[in-house]
Amino acid sequence: MKMTTERQDGILSFRVDGRIDGSNAIAFQEAVRTAVDDSDRAMIMDCANTSYISSAGLRAVLMTAKSLSNRDVQFALCALSNDVLDVFEKSGFDKIIAIHRSKAEALGSLHDQ
Amino acid sequence: MTLRFAEEVLLLLLHDDNGKFARVPEWSLRYALGGGVLMDLALENRIDTDLEKLVLIDATPVGDSLLDPLLEEVAAAQESHDARYWVEVAAGRAWEIREEALSRLVERGILEQREDRFLWVLSARRYPVIDGKAERELKLRIMEVLFSDALPDPRDIVIIGLADACGIFKELLAERELDLVAERIGQVRKMDLIGQAVSSAIWDIETAVAAAMPPLAY
Repeated sequence: MKMTTERQDGILSFRVDGRIDGSNAIAFQEAVRTAVDDSDRAMIMDCANTSYISSAGLRAVLMTAKSLSNRDVQFALCALSNDVLDVFEKSGFDKIIAIHRSKAEALGSLHDQ
Repeated sequence: MTLRFAEEVLLLLLHDDNGKFARVPEWSLRYALGGGVLMDLALENRIDTDLEKLVLIDATPVGDSLLDPLLEEVAAAQESHDARYWVEVAAGRAWEIREEALSRLVERGILEQREDRFLWVLSARRYPVIDGKAERELKLRIMEVLFSDALPDPRDIVIIGLADACGIFKELLAERELDLVAERIGQVRKMDLIGQAVSSAIWDIETAVAAAMPPLAY
């Protein structure tokens, strides 16, 4: 798993390349925690290159969303592959976490708020 | 003190007033207790699942007599299987899980074991609650999730899924309350893939039982 970040107008884009599973879920959570700073009002998790997510990965995303919510930072996912989106839909995560088709759509939605 | 899911399921099933267990279908309880152990192993980062398979991440024993026998079995498996397969295996251990969980709850001073004799010969065990703090906190945690839109914690997701699988909510909530939170229970229950396997195993049995029932004569 490789993670890269970029920041624009108080929105942190956090790109995850590769797999999120039990071997790296805790590292993912920790990386997000340290990447978000007090000036961020939103975070987009860019999944364009996320190839796989397991249960442990879903839990890590959920804990990230909870932790950001406690810090009053909005959270959205974008650009999920069909396989990764399938996992989010079958576990009902798409009903509780905002998912956008593209990063541009996610940015647009967050800028509008 | 964090309880294991099997211990939490048993606490939810106990009637506070008489120390007897609520009557739930035997198969539901078996799958809930077995599934609870699998879910604890997942939260201990020993196993992981996706829509197709359950995999071992770390075979190091947790040091917990409720979890380690099943972990050992997963680690010894020669081929990979899905979560449903392991839910069935875990359910096969349900009665040893139940006995172990109950004896731990007694050891921790949460429950007391009493033997009641009737007809001078037959005996029945009861488990009156002697320290209700853990049970109260557990119920409060569940209600907070059900009656709000807040993002649930992974532990809350699991216990709500297991409680629903056993039909415990009928015991915990009035019918009107149950109607109010039914959709929320469905939403939360879906969020754990092992929980989905537990529900589908119970659903299959209930469907088979219903199919085996003779039609009502009019």
